[in-house]
Amino acid sequence: MSCKNLTYSYPAADPTTVPPALDRVSFDVRAGEYVGVLGPNGGGKSTLVRLLNGLLRTDSGRVRVAGLDPAAQPFEVRERLGVLFQNPENGLVAPFVEDDVAFGLENLGVPRDRMRERVAQAIRAVGLAGYERREPHTLSGGEKQRVALAGLLAVEPEILVLDEPTSMLDAAGRREVLEHIHALKGDRTVLHVTHHLEEVLDADRVLVLNAGRLVADVAPERLISDADLLRENRLILPTTLRLALELGLSPAKLRTPEDLAAAVRGRTGKGTGVR
Amino acid sequence: MRLELRDVRHVYALGTPFEVAALRGVSLGVEPGEILAIVGGTGSGKSTLIQHLNLLLEPTSGEVLVDGADARTLNRGELRRRVGLVFQFPEAALFAPTFAEDVAFAPRRMDLDEDEVESRVRDALRTLGAERLAQRSPFSLSGGERRRVAISGVLAMRPEVLVLDEPTAGLDPATREELLGVIRALRDGGGTVVFVSHELDEVAEVADRVCVLERGSIRASGKPAEVFYAEESAHAPATVRAALLLARCYPEVGRPVSFDETLATIRGVLEGSR
Amino acid sequence: MNRTLGQFYPATSPIHTLDPRAKISATALFVVGLFLVDSIAGFVFVAGALAAVVAASRIPAGPFLRFFKPVAPLVALTASFQLFFSREGEVLLSWGFVEVREGGVRLAVFLALRILLLVAAAGLLTATTAPLALADGMEDLLSPLKKMRFPAHEVAMMTSIALRFIPTLGEEAKRITTAQAARGADFSGGGLLRRARALLPILVPLTVGAFRRADELAEAMESRGYKGGEGRTRFRELRFGPRDLLAPLAAVLILAGGVVL
Repeated sequence: MSCKNLTYSYPAADPTTVPPALDRVSFDVRAGEYVGVLGPNGGGKSTLVRLLNGLLRTDSGRVRVAGLDPAAQPFEVRERLGVLFQNPENGLVAPFVEDDVAFGLENLGVPRDRMRERVAQAIRAVGLAGYERREPHTLSGGEKQRVALAGLLAVEPEILVLDEPTSMLDAAGRREVLEHIHALKGDRTVLHVTHHLEEVLDADRVLVLNAGRLVADVAPERLISDADLLRENRLILPTTLRLALELGLSPAKLRTPEDLAAAVRGRTGKGTGVR
Repeated sequence: MRLELRDVRHVYALGTPFEVAALRGVSLGVEPGEILAIVGGTGSGKSTLIQHLNLLLEPTSGEVLVDGADARTLNRGELRRRVGLVFQFPEAALFAPTFAEDVAFAPRRMDLDEDEVESRVRDALRTLGAERLAQRSPFSLSGGERRRVAISGVLAMRPEVLVLDEPTAGLDPATREELLGVIRALRDGGGTVVFVSHELDEVAEVADRVCVLERGSIRASGKPAEVFYAEESAHAPATVRAALLLARCYPEVGRPVSFDETLATIRGVLEGSR
Repeated sequence: MNRTLGQFYPATSPIHTLDPRAKISATALFVVGLFLVDSIAGFVFVAGALAAVVAASRIPAGPFLRFFKPVAPLVALTASFQLFFSREGEVLLSWGFVEVREGGVRLAVFLALRILLLVAAAGLLTATTAPLALADGMEDLLSPLKKMRFPAHEVAMMTSIALRFIPTLGEEAKRITTAQAARGADFSGGGLLRRARALLPILVPLTVGAFRRADELAEAMESRGYKGGEGRTRFRELRFGPRDLLAPLAAVLILAGGVVL
């Protein structure tokens, strides 16, 4: 995917008083990369997602997804780029799980026998075998998002864009969904928009969008160690990392409290021992 | 104002084939001036529990006591004014043409004169940091701002106890911190706050007491350190998990719960080993 | 929670397993034919045959009779109209200027029977056919009309989405109602106007919320490549077998019997 000088303003916004939602944003994403997108609310993250899949059309600048222009060829782009939205409820269209997972395939005109196979596969891939005839309103938030994810995977896109997929979920749901998202790493190109820094610590790169501008395009480690960058963009480190930084420990590879404890023991020389 | 639930049971659809026991004998006290956190996931009965605090739901058996008196003998409207309940994603219930009018909804029902209503609306919005939004329409603006206004709507009743169901759900981390600050400020100002949360790190920062609800029963209850250190599970706040691991080699770590406490003791360990 | 949606009564019976298209056409034929039956014997035959089908569907009498509740006042009203204001046949009774004539009695009885049998047939259809199957059946039957610009696919899609969201909206309404009650809203008491105004704090957010939902759903659908009914295949299958022909056939036979008798 590539964006060059991407600029967009919402039609309802008065251009003389309201700054553009996206202002000359440029970046590239190579095939197979896992890229995080962070930034405060209203910073342009959701707008970017919608420009990438053709829901919105750029005012100026260039967008290319798999070589195609989403504004000119939205349906071709949508075959290759799937989006997982924030609200688990409003992404599910059909009265039953398997019908919903099939929705994308129906739109593509896939013949019925092939559909059945791919739907079954996708449902298994997200760990929901047995849920085929369940109705959406009986599912938990985590389960709903996994159904939505299955619906995307069934179409076998090269690129997955995740627009704050866990922000409306509880802790258990978040864990479930992240597990499956992280399993996708390496298989496809992933663009993961989120508020939660901890979700993209293992990304290849993170982009930071604030007030429509791309203010950073760095490796996660660089971001973590830059207190000013974090503060200016209203980004908050997870507790474990904050402790590590305050204690002067290296944040590299430090994710869980177990890692933190090990690092402390390493520093004090009681490195080996009961874990 | 002290609230108490004594052996409360609540069964939905009693006597029908769809019977469900949401609460199975819960006994819990809410002390004045504290922040009580109720920790429990989906299916634990937390929503059912908090609706008993202002008698939106009545117990199938057991009692709800307000300062020792049976809550059922009290005037419902009065009770709901004194115990203000904010549901999850409260911004879904905003309906008036401007935020100020929405916040005024509850105080207007309290037979106060217009000046009093206006002043309460202003105060409530100010507490939540949302006074500049007063004339805006609820149907625009971000989730975080609408959330603040929805909470102001309940605060405008000046309740003695504020009950919040997952107040930070769906918010970005910076706004969450701000909201937690508001909760602390309310308690520091003499109010009592009960909040339900599954975000253990937030509970660790803010709660005076913690109660763990699981499948309709209370599994543990007490001071945060007591509850979190007794839980032998991976579902404890990050600070506690780190401290537990370090305590095996360094008993002087003790039992910190909040970020600052944990930072201090670990720093002590690192410095002590030099 | 009550899992049946609307009037659908899940059970295992030969009627339940029939193809929805067969059942819909049978019901349509039946209803049209009802207006051709014109004798008491005919009605008795038709009613008896329908009762046999209802019995075969294993729907208990209780739930089935509930279908008639909303129609009862209508039937009573229209029947009495015929009873008191028809001018056919000999006078049977009279008080003052109100007359009850033989023709009126006949018309009233036939009208009542027609409405009741119509309701029974429609009730049987919705009780034995899941809402989604009904929508699919309707879409298929109406698809030839696409040539006449009838939006068969769109109607079916809307029905399916409505079915998907009805329980969700129901729960949302409950949540909003409880939230407003916690702020002191009172939904009971007061005159009609007052009660209507009291519903605003529920209806406004519910409606606005529904529009927001629709927006997000539309984005999700478009993002998943939805572009209307063109070139779309369907995951769900409706299989029509020789057995299913029995339904419309039976309808025609019953009517023939009713007309002849």
